[in-house]
Amino acid sequence: MFASIEQTIAQLRDQQYLCDRKLATVAFLALQMHKPILIEGPAGVGKTELAKAVAAALERRLIRLQCYGGLDEAHALYEWEYGKQLLYTQILRDKISRLFEGVSDLHEAVAQLHLHEDVFFSEHFMVRRPILQAISSPDPVVLLIDELDRAEEQFEAFLLEVLSDFQVTVPELGTVKAATIPYVIITSNNTRDLSDALKRRCLHLFIGYPDEQRELDILRMKVPALRETLAAQVVAVIRRLRALDLRKAPSISETLDWAQALVLLNADALTPALLEETLHLLIKYERDTQQVNDQLPWIGEPLQTQNPPAIPSATEISLHPPTRPAELDVNYLEQRRQEHTTRYFTSYRGRTDGRTGG
Amino acid sequence: MMDTVVNRFIFLLKKQGVRISPAESLDAMQALTWVALHDRDTVRIVLRSTLIKDLRDLPFFEELFEQFFSLPKASLSPEAAAEPQLPHATEPYPPEAAAESNLASGHADDDHAHEDSLDIRDYFEDEDMVAHFNAHQDDHDLCLAEFGQNLLLSRHQELLDQVMQKATQLLKVRRVKNAGHAGELNFSEALTVLDADLIADAVTELLEELNDLDVDEQLIRRLARRLEGGMANLPELLKRYLERELALRPPAKISDPPRRRAHDDHFSEQERREMAEIVQRLCRRMRGARSYRRQISPRGRISVPLTLRRNMKYEGIPFQPVMTHYRDDKPRLAVICDVSLSVRNTARFMLHLVYNLQNLFGQVRSFAFVSDLVEVSAYFDQLSIDDAIVAVFNSGLLDTEVDSNYGRALSLFHNRYLAAVTRQTTVIVLGDGRGNRNPPQVWALEAIRRRAKQLLWLSPEPRGSWSLGSCDMPLYEPVCHQTEVVRNLQQLGQATEALLRRSVTRH
Repeated sequence: MFASIEQTIAQLRDQQYLCDRKLATVAFLALQMHKPILIEGPAGVGKTELAKAVAAALERRLIRLQCYGGLDEAHALYEWEYGKQLLYTQILRDKISRLFEGVSDLHEAVAQLHLHEDVFFSEHFMVRRPILQAISSPDPVVLLIDELDRAEEQFEAFLLEVLSDFQVTVPELGTVKAATIPYVIITSNNTRDLSDALKRRCLHLFIGYPDEQRELDILRMKVPALRETLAAQVVAVIRRLRALDLRKAPSISETLDWAQALVLLNADALTPALLEETLHLLIKYERDTQQVNDQLPWIGEPLQTQNPPAIPSATEISLHPPTRPAELDVNYLEQRRQEHTTRYFTSYRGRTDGRTGG
Repeated sequence: MMDTVVNRFIFLLKKQGVRISPAESLDAMQALTWVALHDRDTVRIVLRSTLIKDLRDLPFFEELFEQFFSLPKASLSPEAAAEPQLPHATEPYPPEAAAESNLASGHADDDHAHEDSLDIRDYFEDEDMVAHFNAHQDDHDLCLAEFGQNLLLSRHQELLDQVMQKATQLLKVRRVKNAGHAGELNFSEALTVLDADLIADAVTELLEELNDLDVDEQLIRRLARRLEGGMANLPELLKRYLERELALRPPAKISDPPRRRAHDDHFSEQERREMAEIVQRLCRRMRGARSYRRQISPRGRISVPLTLRRNMKYEGIPFQPVMTHYRDDKPRLAVICDVSLSVRNTARFMLHLVYNLQNLFGQVRSFAFVSDLVEVSAYFDQLSIDDAIVAVFNSGLLDTEVDSNYGRALSLFHNRYLAAVTRQTTVIVLGDGRGNRNPPQVWALEAIRRRAKQLLWLSPEPRGSWSLGSCDMPLYEPVCHQTEVVRNLQQLGQATEALLRRSVTRH
């Protein structure tokens, strides 16, 4: 149970999840108000991790529903076990025929059968999918609806009943009300806008990349084997990478992977050569690799100083990669502009077509 | 207690164009009961997570929060705060200037409402008050004061508004009496009627409210003292308010200009046939979004329930598998057509296109605009093509004599009919993008694009002249998925070909 915002931070920290006050406030409120949280943000900043941490901190079971294109209520809510129904009718054939022993005509037989028909549409023959599991669980659970933007818009509409009233309607059984209110976390990678109706029912939270200090703290917590100077260097380089206009900027999960790799490589300090060798752990696109290689001297700058300034910058200086020489500028900018336009609008078009964009 | 402040805040947010539903407002208030109010940052986070659901709205929120929940002068050096300064409410405002600025910015009413509220607040957020609060030097009290002050101000504001309204009413009555001098105001008289008892009521009510609040006694006493002083500024404030009201009054309407002559040209049978054919081809390629429902088809995946059901007759042995796949929804179309003078030559053609589209697609809503925007779907549904076009031009729906204003038309569409645009909708804009130097309001088009499946713009003007004169096409073009030049049947055919070849509408 989260008793206050401070306690929320502490409890999540116990689960190896470092969060800022913003996140903790929302997590705390969601529990108190029984409201779902909608988390948006780029991939790999710990949206899913939050759900796991919350579940562990509250000592609740985590039920996860991964969304994808074409997800429907048969996979999200419940499904009748047709095979089992069929099997049972076969096995119980004798029993069923005995049912009609004293029956004279067809009408009576149907009436007789009518009395027993709910046997086959009972909970015995129902496969509970994540949402129904979450709602009918006797102990409160944490329900994670992951990457909702991948599912169709109709699926969102289907979620509305669950999210606002914590109940679902199964035509054959009636309305199932929640035994206990689940703690619902919905994540979205923002590849499309979710509907207003859904957003209205949720507390909204945007998680971005963490600031320098927090990232360093996360690194220390998650990769304790990493040396202190190395950690600072890692964070400095990552920050510079994020300042570039990359298609996929390295997120926290990539930072952690990289740090882990450096530990495995037994590195004492990050050298420009080592940086170049391990860069492919951070950069996932060909185009990005090109750009990073061009800017490599600038990215490597924090490695030159032997003692990287240990988080001095209370005033966050915004990082800007050096610009090209002046004579190239016009063409370069034009090219960049076109590139940007195509990238932005092609990915956009993809999205409106129901596919996820780049 | 708190709801007044929060409501006021939400009201101002809405004025900025942020969509907030009553449910969200309630959430915000409920959420605030769970946290400590003296921490400004927590309040900000709580309000943000409950009210702001779209990242694009975040800057408005942050800005307004800063303005609304701040004690602007409190961050000054302590000496400055301690020094008795002239409360700026007593500085004489040249009323002409205020009125003029209103006239200058003349259009958007809601902007004024916003300004009003802030202005009135300004009168009370003066340094004097701050100095009192700063007398408590410790932080906690200051934070409390911040929130308390806001409570106070907004509470006060409501009463003030009442006073204002009363004054305006009085003014109106007076103006009816001597209608000959509409511009002349007699403030002194209006203000004497607006007498002390109303104001006194306001103050007492305010203090009662304050007693309910968990603010310490001393603070209340100070506020009370302060407020009595503040009342002295009221006449000046009222004068400005009334003058502003006057400036906002719309000028009297001149009688309607005569309507222009009917369009009496007709379409040849040949034209109709060709147009219908082209539109039909377009229609075949335009698909709606993939639907959630499945249908039985030879391709797709095996559906277990349907297979079992069909194979019951074979004792459940699946001899006949049943496959289902997702069906495409029927496409929906929204057509926005310019019928102004600048496209008069092609407007007929464009409306013909609209008519055909509406005939072929199941769900089409069509809109015509010059400066105003009206829905004309019904005309095209019920009348023949010629009658429909005559109806659009002559029925008095639209003033076709004025200059076309794309910015206004698009924002009207955005405000009134955006619900017609869903993820399955293709939006087609027909027009040359010549907004006669009116603000182009590209944001409205962007908003439409964000909601629509696809946004096409068909312009009758050759691409080369887009950069000439007051054409806003260069601004609109990057927002659209596709822009094409179409001024006759042949070009429409080519454009259709291009659309099909690029197959932008297919998945």
